[in-house]
Amino acid sequence: MIGEIAHFLSLSASALLCMVLIFNLFFAFAEEHANQLILSLKLFNQACWLIFISFGMYVYLAIIDDFSIAYIANHSNSQLPIFYKVTSIWSAHEGSMFLWIVFLTLWSIFFINFLKKDHPLKKLTLLILSLIILGFLLFLLLTSNPFERILPFGALEGADINPVLQDPALAIHPPMLYLGYVGFVVAFSFITAFLLHGNFQLQWEQDIRKWSFVAWIFLTVGITLGSWWAYYELGWGGYWFWDPVENVALMPWLAATAFMHSLFASSKSNILKTWTMFLGILIFALSLFGAFIVRSGIIDSVHSFANDPERGLYLLSFSGLITLLALGIFAYRLPQLNSSKLVVTGSKESFLSMNNILMMTAIFSIFLGVTYPLIIESMSGEKVSIGPPYYNTIFSPLILITSFFIMISVEALWQRSLPIRAVAYSVLPTIFFASISVYIIWIYTQIFSMLAYVGIFSGLLIFYSYFFRTINNFFKKRYINKGSAIAHMGLGLLFFSVSMNSILSYEKNINLFSGQSERINESIQEFMFKDIKVYPASNHEVISAEVFILQDQKKIFLNPQKRQYMTRGQITSETAIHATPLKDTYLTIGDQLENGSWTFSLKINYFVKWIWLSSALMVLGISIAMFKKKLT
Amino acid sequence: MLQVRRNRLWKFLTILILSAGGISLILFALNSKLDLFYTPSEMLEAEIQPGYRIKLGGMVKIGSIEKQGTAVNFLVTDFKKEVPVTFDGITPDLFKEDSGVVMLGYFLDGIFQAEEIFAKHDENYMPPELSLEESSE
Repeated sequence: MIGEIAHFLSLSASALLCMVLIFNLFFAFAEEHANQLILSLKLFNQACWLIFISFGMYVYLAIIDDFSIAYIANHSNSQLPIFYKVTSIWSAHEGSMFLWIVFLTLWSIFFINFLKKDHPLKKLTLLILSLIILGFLLFLLLTSNPFERILPFGALEGADINPVLQDPALAIHPPMLYLGYVGFVVAFSFITAFLLHGNFQLQWEQDIRKWSFVAWIFLTVGITLGSWWAYYELGWGGYWFWDPVENVALMPWLAATAFMHSLFASSKSNILKTWTMFLGILIFALSLFGAFIVRSGIIDSVHSFANDPERGLYLLSFSGLITLLALGIFAYRLPQLNSSKLVVTGSKESFLSMNNILMMTAIFSIFLGVTYPLIIESMSGEKVSIGPPYYNTIFSPLILITSFFIMISVEALWQRSLPIRAVAYSVLPTIFFASISVYIIWIYTQIFSMLAYVGIFSGLLIFYSYFFRTINNFFKKRYINKGSAIAHMGLGLLFFSVSMNSILSYEKNINLFSGQSERINESIQEFMFKDIKVYPASNHEVISAEVFILQDQKKIFLNPQKRQYMTRGQITSETAIHATPLKDTYLTIGDQLENGSWTFSLKINYFVKWIWLSSALMVLGISIAMFKKKLT
Repeated sequence: MLQVRRNRLWKFLTILILSAGGISLILFALNSKLDLFYTPSEMLEAEIQPGYRIKLGGMVKIGSIEKQGTAVNFLVTDFKKEVPVTFDGITPDLFKEDSGVVMLGYFLDGIFQAEEIFAKHDENYMPPELSLEESSE
């Protein structure tokens, strides 16, 4: 019964949204009625609340194990802790789409009610938000109904959640990511409303700045959590695989980063305004593209949900429609928008726009990398895949040029040309860090890797530029933009630690009998396989190895495990990690051979902690920048 | 007027040439860095240069898995032809006989040297080509 009520509430919400749209479209171009906006807003808010209540009931259904609901029966289990019963809702397509819509609604209701009562763009924004929510709500109810019952009798027991997903990091990774993706609906709808409205004297940057920053933070945290989970759970020792689904998350992230930068220039000096608008539209369009790639199953990836052409077609048409409408209005208004001001060569804006272009190039390259296999397959029938080598080739020159512009822009001023001495100042550090990087590469690697070299050099250069500037300004008691400095230092650290990780890390496969030990290398004096134990746990059986490692004169005990889950029969490996600030000792257990010995995979991963740290620094920097009163 | 137009033309041409250059560089990178996907019979027919990185997909032949130390040897088949594969390391949890497998590596002296074996999250995974053939048979 509760299921039907929840279903009915969602349907009513879409009916209300329909009413908002019809009501306004019929009267929008007639004379303005005073109560029109108030009424639409009321209807909109009620629709939003219906969606929230409906989702709340759905969560309740998952908690009380209502296995007559097909989705819950397929993805949950009565043995699960309550936490995972709730998170099982977003472990597959229908439920996660529901969550996606709830977040979309959440951002919309907050934004529209925070906007000033008589803001001239309020009505148009409301309409665009209603249209978007309605479109996705109908998608959910028509093509992927989470409320579907198993008739006439429900299942007695649920089929269980995939064990690799029973993990706290992965439980909160999708919500964070979705909050980030859909958060850019604010910028999208407001910019589109501004373009539709046609009064270009209005200021729009301040109204969406904080919202976009918060969305960016969620997106960054979401991506980092996913990467962290992959690192310790999948047992491959990697944290980023250039998987299509990772790529479709990276594209809106890059666009959002470019957007935040040009938002500064746009509100400061009215230049780059059109460009900023374009980016604002692009971020949400890329988020929708991501949803299409993941949910249509068009690309084979570890993340993709079941292949369903009907869903793909709906998503593609609706996302395409929204994007084309927004871009169409943008193109139509473009001649009226051209600002008379030009970017001064050598000013902060000029470097900023250069980096914007580079980020666009990066987005375009990733986009091609994601879609190229599809294009090739549909044209020649050949199956190809694009892996890390492509992205490495593309990114090394981009990162190199970007870091130069970042370094120079630290000294540059808004709207004024750069003093020559600033360029002169940067010659020395450039030479210095170029030689240091050559030295590092020379010592630690046999084969010269362009990407690693570029990464180390750029990372050090960016970090140094901001660090030096901050210290310098602090002593001279000059203004420091703390947020920007911290975020950029985070970026420098990210380039540096990713590159160091790639050149220093190594792995070794080991085959030992229980009780046997082996010397691995200078640093790992002893690797001893002490014992293996098999014992049952709540819903799985555990094979646990006891390993003793003598590393750098320190004793380490590790317990890598294998788990066999009873309901699905699935086997998962649990990695044992011993972490120090500099390196992680990362051990997974393999199979038992016929002669009774066991195989292990030992990986020494350097600078992994630093990668998470750099992501945290970027989030911290943006948070500081967000709480500043005005754009500076 | 003429000067303005000429300037605009130059600007336009510069942007055009630069973006064309950029795009061709990206396409070049794409074409040189992509991994082609083969089934065992396709790979044997295609006469791939030794050491050239490809993706090979098929089924692990029943009873062919052999483990020696940390090395794993097995045969991968598409039910027409089979190719011996060698891999050093720990195979993914879902790697087992008579199930689908995709590997990245190169073909050398009649043996496919796998550098990576891909774990599929779905235990019933099969390379699309094979599942098509099986259902049509």
